[in-house]
Amino acid sequence: MITRRTLLGGAGATALAAAAPSRVGAQTKGAPVKGGSLTWGVETEPSTLNPHLNGQAKAKLILRNAYETLLARTPDGGYVPWLAKDYAVSEDGRIYTFTLRDDVSFHDGEKFDAAAVALNFTKLKEPTYSGSISAGHVSHVSEAIAVDPRTLVLKLSRVYAPFLDGAAGIEILSPKSFASAQLKAGGPEIAGTGPFRIERYVKGQEIRFVRNEAYNWAPANAGHQGPAWLDRVTYRFLPEAAVRTGALTSGQVDVIEGISGNDAGLFKDNPEFTYQSALNTGTPYTLYLNATRGPTEDVRVRQAVLAAIDVERVIRSVYRGERQRAWGVLTPADTDFYDRSIEGSYGFDPKRANRLLDEAGWSSRDAEGFRTKDGQRLSIEIVQSQATLRDQRDVLLQAVQAQARQNAGLDLVLRYVDAGTYTTRQNDGQYGIIPNSTTTQENGLTIYFHYLPRNKGGSINYSRTEAPEISAWLDEAASTLDTKKRFEIYARLQRFALLEQAYGLPLYVPEDQIAASARVKGVGFRPFKRLPENAYDIWLQG
Amino acid sequence: MESRQTSALSPAPALVASRPFKLRRNGLPVQIASRIGSGLLVLWAAVTLSFVSVHLAPGDIVSLLIGEQLRTPEIEAAIRAEWGLDEPVLWQYLRYLTRILHGDFGRSYLLQTDVSQLVLSQIVPTLKLTAAALFVAILFAVTSAVLTAGRRIPRSIAGALELTLVSTPSFWLGILLLYLFSFTLKLFPVSGDRSFSALVLPALALGLPLGAVVGQVLRQGLERALEEPFALTVRSWGTSGLVLRLRHGLRHAALPAVTLTGWLVGSLLSGAVITESVFGRPGLGRVTVEAVLGHDMPVVLAVAILSAFTYVMLSTLVDILYLLLDPRLRDEGREAAR
Repeated sequence: MITRRTLLGGAGATALAAAAPSRVGAQTKGAPVKGGSLTWGVETEPSTLNPHLNGQAKAKLILRNAYETLLARTPDGGYVPWLAKDYAVSEDGRIYTFTLRDDVSFHDGEKFDAAAVALNFTKLKEPTYSGSISAGHVSHVSEAIAVDPRTLVLKLSRVYAPFLDGAAGIEILSPKSFASAQLKAGGPEIAGTGPFRIERYVKGQEIRFVRNEAYNWAPANAGHQGPAWLDRVTYRFLPEAAVRTGALTSGQVDVIEGISGNDAGLFKDNPEFTYQSALNTGTPYTLYLNATRGPTEDVRVRQAVLAAIDVERVIRSVYRGERQRAWGVLTPADTDFYDRSIEGSYGFDPKRANRLLDEAGWSSRDAEGFRTKDGQRLSIEIVQSQATLRDQRDVLLQAVQAQARQNAGLDLVLRYVDAGTYTTRQNDGQYGIIPNSTTTQENGLTIYFHYLPRNKGGSINYSRTEAPEISAWLDEAASTLDTKKRFEIYARLQRFALLEQAYGLPLYVPEDQIAASARVKGVGFRPFKRLPENAYDIWLQG
Repeated sequence: MESRQTSALSPAPALVASRPFKLRRNGLPVQIASRIGSGLLVLWAAVTLSFVSVHLAPGDIVSLLIGEQLRTPEIEAAIRAEWGLDEPVLWQYLRYLTRILHGDFGRSYLLQTDVSQLVLSQIVPTLKLTAAALFVAILFAVTSAVLTAGRRIPRSIAGALELTLVSTPSFWLGILLLYLFSFTLKLFPVSGDRSFSALVLPALALGLPLGAVVGQVLRQGLERALEEPFALTVRSWGTSGLVLRLRHGLRHAALPAVTLTGWLVGSLLSGAVITESVFGRPGLGRVTVEAVLGHDMPVVLAVAILSAFTYVMLSTLVDILYLLLDPRLRDEGREAAR
């Protein structure tokens, strides 16, 4: 027995979103013009160009020019057809059937069909091809069957709620690509179906795409249909924020992303440029407190850390009002699962912080004014990976450190470490606090990685909690397809983790920023996932 | 500048310390053979040291490859098997040495590409940058030394400028040059390895601090030379001051400057990291830093071999330059043979 979910005529919200093209921040005044080349200065160079193997959120805007997925998303989290015209889920939630378009071809001339898609899923299950990725969504697939050229059936070993979100977001590569020598590094030989194909890649400098003239299968909620407007688009790798800003203001590039709080003012309210920003989905930049080691083992100390820091003020002064203070285990951009009732329910309260620390026995002070117990100073080590130290986070951590000292006599020790030291410390639990944010492609799923025990899938469980109630809730949420029920469970988890256990102190919501010269039109963010969109709808005026 | 070098980029300090190394005309085949022999020894030492230090650095390669993704025993096993990490370390080392002898440098763990191709594609832009920076450095050093040596006021102005350049972080110097000449005056493009004009600013950013160091040494040498009796003799022939400085003085002053330059060129490789990143240029510098941080052994070792090779070549070149510059060294060889 199969329940059919018709995409175009089905759920009200979905149909509405599909009928009215709605790209976040897209400017579509005036008639688009075909032609021209665009140069976009980006912060991050992809580590690999194979979209299956690339886990960098910042690389998506580049790779989405060439590689496409089965379904696209609407701003409210619905699905619209893309390479799949339709999909259905069986009543027991274990069989997913996708009906594919029959007019799509890959850049290398191969035909897009169910066998090609099935091959992608089979390959992704091989640890030798995809490493850790094979343990993610695709590990739940027991069988991928091409019933006929247009029908793909995925059978799951058991019900897994985030599956559609994950499966609909897997980029489909041409079957020939899997035999290419470029497979793992990616490159022009790895063919996708996108509106552009890779023309040239110069490592350390730029990647250039050229229009795919045959393209005629944009998702229903794109800004237009048919081939892309631009002839070519080049992404130039400029790792320094100040250099990106200068390159745009001097007209050497047309668009940049990743703009520091200090530079935003140059582009805002300036008629020569446009500036837009969008909050990331996933988790906010949060100080996760180690609940299994050192002073933070005591819940009172953890609660005191949360109460000792005036987050609102710190964020406002460090980012000059350009970043938003965070409250929850997820960011507000996660429209499905963010429970905003958490906002304002805890926060800066120095009296409470000091009372809690007195109660916990950290009542005496040393010569420098730090709290002590049995002659030991109340020191908590913050271990921050240099690899994720961006967006003025070093300044932010210093401000937090100063507040903790001033308001509660807490000694936060800052350690910036290399990738090797970080993984070791992370695995062994040798830290007091790890600050981190994650930008996930899958809504709600990041909660599992953060709160399941480390040996049961909690790969980034920095608080190291093994609370049995959390595991039970997460199990329950994973086995239901009822979004409302999942929301309630995650909301309960959020209150437990932040208010009762104080496993983390959310600081701010990471966001993406785009600044462009005024003649660049149609640049904006993806609906729902909120990352910068590819160049498909971009056109140049005059 | 030296403090910024990574361990992979500064091999064989002993080689530098062993200077002056005197080539002798007689027994040349023996000299060449011992040169090649010591060169190979340096290469082997560089590979071995890099191998050991990457293994001693915190964090193991499997954890780094998995990162913060899910970790299961099957995945670990697959990764170990794929990269041959399931074998004993000594065996990995020996197998790697054998592979290098066959010209196979392996595949990058992080970038998934063939290492020889990766290094070859990145070496050209790095060589262009270092050559241009070296040109800038020499031009700056010679001009500043010749024009200001022995002249009190110009000398102190040049000295102050050199001191400023040496102590300016290259990141900041790069941004400053970009701000002036690219963003404001729009004379040069900001980034890439695309045209000659794109090379100007990075070459200045990298070459000026080097030129400043060499310039100071060269000026001191020149001043010493101008005080020697021969300078008076030359002047008495009626030779103009500039000709004296260029034709006679420089040659005397060049020895210590050449030694220093030969040594500093090696540091250009490591200095290139920051310049490359500021100017968005391709190159070995960035590749190397990422490889070291990610314990990407095949890339680290290939770069170690390459930089050891560069040092060996440079020190040989410097020795030959010595002979050309200073006939006394040539004579010494002849006398010893007599």
